[in-house]
Amino acid sequence: MRELVIAVEKISKTYGSGESAVTAIKEATFEIYSGETVALLGPSGSGKTTLITMIGCITEPTTGKLTLNGNLMYEGGWKVNDTRQIRREKIGFIFQTHNLIPFLNVLENVTLIPQMNGIKKSEADQKAKDLLDYLGVGDKITKFPSHLSGGQSQRVAIARSLANNPKIILADEPTAALDADRALSVMQLLKKLSIEQKVAIVVVTHDERMLPLFDRILRVEDGYVQEIIQQHTAEYSQK
Amino acid sequence: MINLAARDIAHSKGKFITTALGVGMLIGVVLIMIGVYRGMVHDAMIVPNDIGPDLWVVQKDTLGPFAENSRLHEDLKYSLKGFLGVKDVYPLTFQSLQIHQGVKPIRVYALGYEAGGGFEPFTLIEGRAIAITHREIIVDKNTGFKLNDQIKLGRNIYTVVGMTRKAVSSGGDPMIYLDLSEAQELQFLFSNEQIRNDRARGGNGGSTDTVNTFAITLQSGFEPESVAKEIRRWKHQEVYTAQEQSGILTKNLIERSAKQIGMFTVILLIVSSVIISLIIYTMTMGKIKEIAILKLIGASNFIIIKMIALQSLLLGIMAFIGGNLFAHASANLFPKTVILIPTDALKLFVVVIIVSILASLSGIRSALRIEPATAIGG
Repeated sequence: MRELVIAVEKISKTYGSGESAVTAIKEATFEIYSGETVALLGPSGSGKTTLITMIGCITEPTTGKLTLNGNLMYEGGWKVNDTRQIRREKIGFIFQTHNLIPFLNVLENVTLIPQMNGIKKSEADQKAKDLLDYLGVGDKITKFPSHLSGGQSQRVAIARSLANNPKIILADEPTAALDADRALSVMQLLKKLSIEQKVAIVVVTHDERMLPLFDRILRVEDGYVQEIIQQHTAEYSQK
Repeated sequence: MINLAARDIAHSKGKFITTALGVGMLIGVVLIMIGVYRGMVHDAMIVPNDIGPDLWVVQKDTLGPFAENSRLHEDLKYSLKGFLGVKDVYPLTFQSLQIHQGVKPIRVYALGYEAGGGFEPFTLIEGRAIAITHREIIVDKNTGFKLNDQIKLGRNIYTVVGMTRKAVSSGGDPMIYLDLSEAQELQFLFSNEQIRNDRARGGNGGSTDTVNTFAITLQSGFEPESVAKEIRRWKHQEVYTAQEQSGILTKNLIERSAKQIGMFTVILLIVSSVIISLIIYTMTMGKIKEIAILKLIGASNFIIIKMIALQSLLLGIMAFIGGNLFAHASANLFPKTVILIPTDALKLFVVVIIVSILASLSGIRSALRIEPATAIGG
């Protein structure tokens, strides 16, 4: 049974005030469920990043209501004292470039968040090793990010995003720095994760070739968010 | 929890060690400056301590013999010996000289004492004391002379019969020791021409029966202050106890130098803290993206502050260790005495820790302003 992970109701974000005010997101309303892969599609400057940072409790909305996993996060102001704790415990992030901490090795990059959450080192290490094995980079645990290829780095970044058992993973153009084959491989991996781990995945992307892999597509244009109903191309996702 | 500061340092060891060594040399210079001050105090007290009197009798209204000129008639010693409680009276002369070792000029400080009487205001490391009071001299090893070397002083040639080590004046000049009568000649005997001229003017010209001070030792049971009071009352001369003389030397004589050194030390500490601050700020600014990622994935401000402050502290500690090694390695290369003592190092360590914490504040302030959203996007 699908579980409601994110509920966004008439959420808006305005930067600046008076005549210089710019509304990046205008009264967006949508829901995201566990095990779902959702694409955020739109041209540059359309408000995708603003939307993903609001869902990720990074940027405070101006109006509207945001609920994460049944808990009210925002309604006229943050409803939680520590948004970083919410991010640390409930949300996984994947970035355009891998954005691993360069002075930590692969294992430390993955265990950092669980250890911040108070998980014992031995337990965090074991979980991280399992994740890295699952993602095919289990032999790289002592390597530093600078010694990994782009694809390997992105897999480690995915492992890091999963290390805190998140309800939702927010990925900002995770395939932008990869070639077509590796990009497809990473997207298929995310799709697999959403199915196997029942985690909701929201991906900001420009790459329309990847769209058949998503369950739903939200198009963001001029601050407005609109859902696109698409035909599933099963053969592409099975490729 | 992973120690982010240690991991970051370990990842860029070379850069960090080089930086720490650079700051360490500054801290080393601070330690050396303190050591120079300690050395000045130590040097100033070498001669008085070697002489070791209970009282110093000097010319009335002077701070002699080290801080001001003092001249007394030598025969005053007989009346001084008559005071109740006085054990021994040693007439002494002091004089700065420039002698030559080959072609090299050397500044020395000459002490004239009554040789052969058992009073030896020095510690010999080689040779013997002056046995025959005729053209024999004791010199400090720092002069560069050796036993049996010949030294020209005034009109005469002296033979080195004994050597001391690290015996210096308050000015840091190495000591030489002469018999009193020869030291008096050296200081007070005019040239034949001037003696003739002085006699023509009606003066006596050429008396050398003058000394700079009398060092007095007391019999046990007598208070220096009370004996000093009696001498002042009856002989109308200035009398200082050993403690007062020590005060004159450390306060009057080297106070300005100490202040100068203190100023340098404070400036160096300020420079060090500014440099540590700049380094930590630059290191923090070099990690903007990493700090943004840490914030974005949920790291608390405490974790970020701890990372920056710990790096600053580690930099300070490593610089302190490097500075200590540098100071100890180079202390003996200085021409004057440099004394490095653990309590000074400990105090400096506390200052370095405080400076390191303060220096990290600008970096911490900048780090806390970094928006986590900057981690998103290219």
